[in-house]
Amino acid sequence: MAASDTVTRVLFEDFTPSSVRLFYVIGYTAIALFAYGVYLQVRKYRRGAPAGISPGLLPRFRSMVATVLSHRTLARRDKQAGAAHRLIFYGFVLLFLGTATITVDYDIVGPLFGTHFWHGEFYLWFSLVLDVAGVLLAGGLLYMMYRRGWLKPPKLDYARPDRAPGDPDYDRSGYRREDWAFLWTLLTIVATGYVLEALRLVWLSDRPDVWDTRWWSPVGAALAQGMRAAGMTAASGGDWRGDLWWFHGMLALLFIALIPFTKVKHIFTAMGSLMFRDPQAAQRLPRVPAQQTHAGAQFITDFTWKQLLSLDACTKCGRCHEACPARAVGAPLSPRDVILSLREFANRTLGAAQLPATLELDVHGKGPGQVAMETLWSCRSCMACVEVCPVAIEHVPIIVQMRRKLVEEGQMDPQLRKTLQTIHKTGNSFGESRRKRAAWTKQLPFAVKDARKERVDVLWFVGDYASFDPRNQKVSAGFATLLRDAGVDFGILYDGESNAGNDVRRVGEEGLYEVLAEANVGALSAASFNSIVTTDPHSYNTIRNEYPDFGGRYAIQHYTTLLLELLQQGRLALARKLGLRVTFHDPCHLGRFNRGYEAPREILRLLGCELIEMGRCRSNSFCCGAGGGRIWIPDPVGADKPAQNRMREAAAIEALQVFVVSCPKDLTMFEDALKTSGNEGKFVVRELIELVREALAQPQSTPAAPIAPAAA
Amino acid sequence: MKLLVAVKQVAALDEDFEIRADGKDVQAEFLMRDLNEWDDFSLEEAMRIKEAATSPVELVVVCVGPEAADEALRKCMAKGADRAIRVWDAAIEGSDSMAIAQLIAAVARREQPALLFAGAQSSDHAFASTGIATAALLDWPHAAVLTELSYSPGARSARFRRELEGGLLHEMEIDCPAVLTIQLGINTPRYASLRAIKQAAAKPIEVLSLADLSLPVSAVGASGSLSRVRRMYIPEKGRAQMIEGSVEEQAARLVQIIREATGGAA
Repeated sequence: MAASDTVTRVLFEDFTPSSVRLFYVIGYTAIALFAYGVYLQVRKYRRGAPAGISPGLLPRFRSMVATVLSHRTLARRDKQAGAAHRLIFYGFVLLFLGTATITVDYDIVGPLFGTHFWHGEFYLWFSLVLDVAGVLLAGGLLYMMYRRGWLKPPKLDYARPDRAPGDPDYDRSGYRREDWAFLWTLLTIVATGYVLEALRLVWLSDRPDVWDTRWWSPVGAALAQGMRAAGMTAASGGDWRGDLWWFHGMLALLFIALIPFTKVKHIFTAMGSLMFRDPQAAQRLPRVPAQQTHAGAQFITDFTWKQLLSLDACTKCGRCHEACPARAVGAPLSPRDVILSLREFANRTLGAAQLPATLELDVHGKGPGQVAMETLWSCRSCMACVEVCPVAIEHVPIIVQMRRKLVEEGQMDPQLRKTLQTIHKTGNSFGESRRKRAAWTKQLPFAVKDARKERVDVLWFVGDYASFDPRNQKVSAGFATLLRDAGVDFGILYDGESNAGNDVRRVGEEGLYEVLAEANVGALSAASFNSIVTTDPHSYNTIRNEYPDFGGRYAIQHYTTLLLELLQQGRLALARKLGLRVTFHDPCHLGRFNRGYEAPREILRLLGCELIEMGRCRSNSFCCGAGGGRIWIPDPVGADKPAQNRMREAAAIEALQVFVVSCPKDLTMFEDALKTSGNEGKFVVRELIELVREALAQPQSTPAAPIAPAAA
Repeated sequence: MKLLVAVKQVAALDEDFEIRADGKDVQAEFLMRDLNEWDDFSLEEAMRIKEAATSPVELVVVCVGPEAADEALRKCMAKGADRAIRVWDAAIEGSDSMAIAQLIAAVARREQPALLFAGAQSSDHAFASTGIATAALLDWPHAAVLTELSYSPGARSARFRRELEGGLLHEMEIDCPAVLTIQLGINTPRYASLRAIKQAAAKPIEVLSLADLSLPVSAVGASGSLSRVRRMYIPEKGRAQMIEGSVEEQAARLVQIIREATGGAA
């Protein structure tokens, strides 16, 4: 196959000058429509609040490009969809670059400098690459059609858990139609492109430089062979091509013009959302802006432009819908639907030429596009949705900011209201007297140092549950004993400690959170210590990630890393291997929030336990249901609970003996759920501290909480 | 149009408290202070009238107490009270509910409200008398332990319901100005967010002395009170013992116990 140096693709061959002009007019119109659409979207985003994006645009850009090119976030937990999208993405990008190359040659370099590069060997490779790109794109599109039409994964079902059938907002069939229109349009553009290529080859089959190099466009060439075999002449090929050329061209231009008005805009909005993501979105919630006169997000304009932009990035992939523990137990919440509702609301209000009156901007309620309080209160702020979102939508801060408004108006469960008042009054959620916070230490045979009065190496921030809950007090006593046995110089704040506020903040009671954070930062500042250890992942998260905003910067670790160090240094000597078959539950605030996945697993290995992972582990760990203040809100009677759902998952592990937790709330939630899910006797729930204690103990001594043998 | 709500900062016992040396009260350090629970409901009831009103209604809260009571008043302002008055003078220390009523009545004369609200009782001393005594001093009609209220600002009377024994409901009408004491559960009190409480901290609280109310020192304190605390104490725990043995033995033991308890008179 000799590559003639003159070979290129005909563009406007045999077109009358007026046809060419018409094409350009339509082309510029499409671009103008695209530009206008972009303007409309940008105007919509600019109606949001300032975002306060941290600096470093270049690193942000680099990280976004790396994420987009690798499809890292898209392939997570759905390899097939990731692979198919990768085909569509690279196919589309190559075809776009190809078209851009022609434009550069024909409309820019040619007219300006009189030179052309789009011919000869370069053209032939160009043809080959684009033909392959078309195959990639079509392959990806066909898989997506197969997925939507036949596989029908539940996460792509747009039925809403927060609306009843018949509700004007329930029907999301518009999205379904758009999905199919998108797939068919792109597929049609690809298919007509190939047919067009084949018709051109048939038409110009008498030109050797075209026909002899036809296999550089393998798909077109194969089709052309078939057309000729079917008896198509060069002349009829040319005729057909004329009509199809306009159809293909118009469809492609229409596609471009519609990008900003349809789901196709995710090409840009997803990149924007990824670029301006907050890597600590759920870990460190935003403070209430000083200039804001009302609390939290009440109006659509209270959201930042970045949040509004990310609403448009959602492609309804359903990963958050699938991961959400509230949705899994039938609560009226799907993170996806919160995002889509707000997007529809923003389009209707902020998308209008004139910004509507403030009253019409209220996003709370049961009307179209509004979010109901039942939905907002269902959230456990476990971060499962934020973690898995491939386009960096940050649902948790959006939900918490909306809850702040509900709290301000007292629209919350009476039990929660009472708990918040109790925490304000006593500094703890148990309503106990402050002076009783350290009462659990009285059961110890040694005194625990008062870190307010003497210098300690390690300050132990105990937290509410570990201080006041009788079951957890035993674990606290165990941990204190471990520290003493290891010779750690440690102390606690006694009644100087208040509820750390992590969950109060996630409830949306920002004012109370500020009071608690300031009180604890004050107490910690007055104490003298080198580092903090905490047995409570919730306290760990807020002290580590949020107290710096309140002037409290401390070296802090969760107890799992400290225990691992003590075990590895031999300061705690294991007396025996436990030989238990266990599974480990990653607490949201230790795992997903702060990436503390390894230390507890390493400890279990040192203890000689056989760790069998549950399907949902590490970053995909399934919330116990207590987060976001839900531990203070009664679950609906009779309804399934996330903790029960988790117990069923664990019960599926054959011969499981111990369900290991490393969070006081987990211990409470799962010991309860073990019974209510009907799995009592099959395995037991234990704190990791209890297992360490048992491995240290001599076999004949009685551990604090003996492990029941697994039922056969 | 004005509504006046009298509130009290009550004391709740901490665990393991101790009695004061003079034996007349609990040591202050063992007391936790908070707004009286009944007052949450009476304030809410007044707030509802204010919010449903078409013409402006001023809601004033009044509290007799030292500076620490400002916290209770701030909570009321956080919930929406327009103005707060605190009455205090060193001489007021040790006043009973009758003396406190003198002070509240004096404030009511100054403010001239259409309705004066009070809690049916306070959770610490539970005399259930301050509101009623105030009505007597003002010579206004009063109604106690309301469970439902309907009043439109400017109306000459208010209608209300009270629960009586045996499941009876008492529906009545009362002429204004009147004193109403409110029962728990009449409504659902709103939540005062910390943000609102902090904002209320910036609002002024008017502090009135005896002189401001033109009351003599003798009207309050021990001299103005009709009752005096003799002592406050924790009663000895009752003792119980099982009497065992045969019927005769049990009877003999019982007689012995009765003799011991009555000093051998029986």
